[in-house]
Amino acid sequence: MADVDLSEPEKVYILHSVQENLREDGRGCEDFRHMEVETGLISNTNGSARVRLASTDVLVGIKVQLTPVDPKKPNVGRIEFFLDCSANATPAFEGRGGEGLASEITAMLTRSYSCFSAIDYTSLCLLPGQQCWLLYIDILLLECGGNLFDAVSIAVKAALFNLRIPNVTMTKDEGGIELDVSDDPFDFKRLDVSGAPVIVTVNKIGHQHVVDASEKEEACSLAKVMLGITEKGTVTAMKKEGSGSLDSESISEMIESAKNVGIELNKCLLNILKEEEAKIEEPVGFLR
Amino acid sequence: MPTDTRRITGPETSRSPYDYCQIEISKEENQNELIKSDKKRKDGRLAAQLRPIFLKANVISQARGSSYIEMGQTKVICAVYGPREVMRREDFSLKGQLTCDFKFTTFSCRQRRQHQQDNQEKDLSVQMLEALEPAVCLHKYPKSQINIYATVLQNDGSALSAAIMCASVALATAGIEMYDLVLASSLGVLNTVLLVDPTLQEEENIANETGKSPQNAGTMTLAFLPSLNQVSAMTSDGQFLFDMINKSMQQCIENCQKLYPVLQQCLVEDVKEKANLTHA
Repeated sequence: MADVDLSEPEKVYILHSVQENLREDGRGCEDFRHMEVETGLISNTNGSARVRLASTDVLVGIKVQLTPVDPKKPNVGRIEFFLDCSANATPAFEGRGGEGLASEITAMLTRSYSCFSAIDYTSLCLLPGQQCWLLYIDILLLECGGNLFDAVSIAVKAALFNLRIPNVTMTKDEGGIELDVSDDPFDFKRLDVSGAPVIVTVNKIGHQHVVDASEKEEACSLAKVMLGITEKGTVTAMKKEGSGSLDSESISEMIESAKNVGIELNKCLLNILKEEEAKIEEPVGFLR
Repeated sequence: MPTDTRRITGPETSRSPYDYCQIEISKEENQNELIKSDKKRKDGRLAAQLRPIFLKANVISQARGSSYIEMGQTKVICAVYGPREVMRREDFSLKGQLTCDFKFTTFSCRQRRQHQQDNQEKDLSVQMLEALEPAVCLHKYPKSQINIYATVLQNDGSALSAAIMCASVALATAGIEMYDLVLASSLGVLNTVLLVDPTLQEEENIANETGKSPQNAGTMTLAFLPSLNQVSAMTSDGQFLFDMINKSMQQCIENCQKLYPVLQQCLVEDVKEKANLTHA
């Protein structure tokens, strides 16, 4: 992540402002920053989305591919996450610099989506025991402005909402079943994302905790808790990060606020995505 | 160990036979559930009972500190090297650096593992580091690094918590200054049943259950600093209802407190042994 050098007085200022529930940019402790979500930007993908959360910028493209099923799980499709930390975001990502962060984020995403209620994995299987869809979810970090995990997970959910999987007709042939993938762009099925989780990161700053921390606030925080939360409030993954430790009561408080924020965030996101779809507008993309 | 693929005239990829017979196994298992009618688990434990632990410090003579732990059939060996100089100049830091390397041996699981660290092992290394870092006084070791290597010799569930405790004892025997010992405990949750210190079989069964939309199905690992009463790491996999998280967390902390005397006794034994050696 981009280096933020904060002096001691600056840190104290942030710490005190969080204590007063009025953060340095005027938000309360459980408020998100301004967010822009747009789907269907890239025509070469089956589903895509871009999320801009203040100065954090994430682009997600999903491509689907037919593949033999995993013999361990013969009735379900699969998803795979790949994250590319572009050196445009920060020079520190140059070469292999972003690899550690990338594997951390993809591990957290894989874990949040590994629970079967997240998306309907059985609908991704075409022929049980033989063929299924494999979703390649490629994430590109264009700019880092704090709270990467949340922004990435929101973008992934939006892209899954936008995903159009081509319909497949199966015909019985002698010697097997023939699969025919439709090349009509309007002949597709959608994926139900109502159970898909978003990640909510709660940073501990002083005695208080905040969601959607900016880069400066992240520099003041020694420990954070990340949770994958669905619209119903179930937790699909949890992880504590950072060099500090926490007492159990403050963890309880933190996951409580993560739950409240997460449920609200899921609802808002789904509403906005539906609204966006209803309107027929030229995509704005990067020409803003 | 590098393998020369050109010399082996087999198929490019191969799969373990267990991949194909696993479906049969899991069917059989679901019939007799995780907890049998006499309230005991498959291995005869109660739901809230830990497995017996064997813990020994100083098992690798060339390492600065080391230890070996057995929790039932889970066996982990851990070595600590350092503090030693940081070689690369750009890595200079006034705070010491801690590195963790978590590795399953190729023969530790039912399926053979690769020599190279895979994604799961990398993830577990990071989780181990998260658990141990808050306990080590890194500011006492400027410009230096401390390396921890944990190797799972046999995996029968709860490998991460075993590795964390093993590493914490190894750090203590290495004489690294710490605020506290780190204890860790795992928990498997299925609906309303909490299974303490789950075996590999139980972990797998719970992972299979997630397909059938139960309320809770997952595992949680928590690391705890007992005398500071702080949680240093906490991870969960699978699906948890919200209330269950708090309940499982409390259960994990309780288990960690039960384990504290075991680690203390191991360290005392180690000191006694060293004292005997110097007298003799």
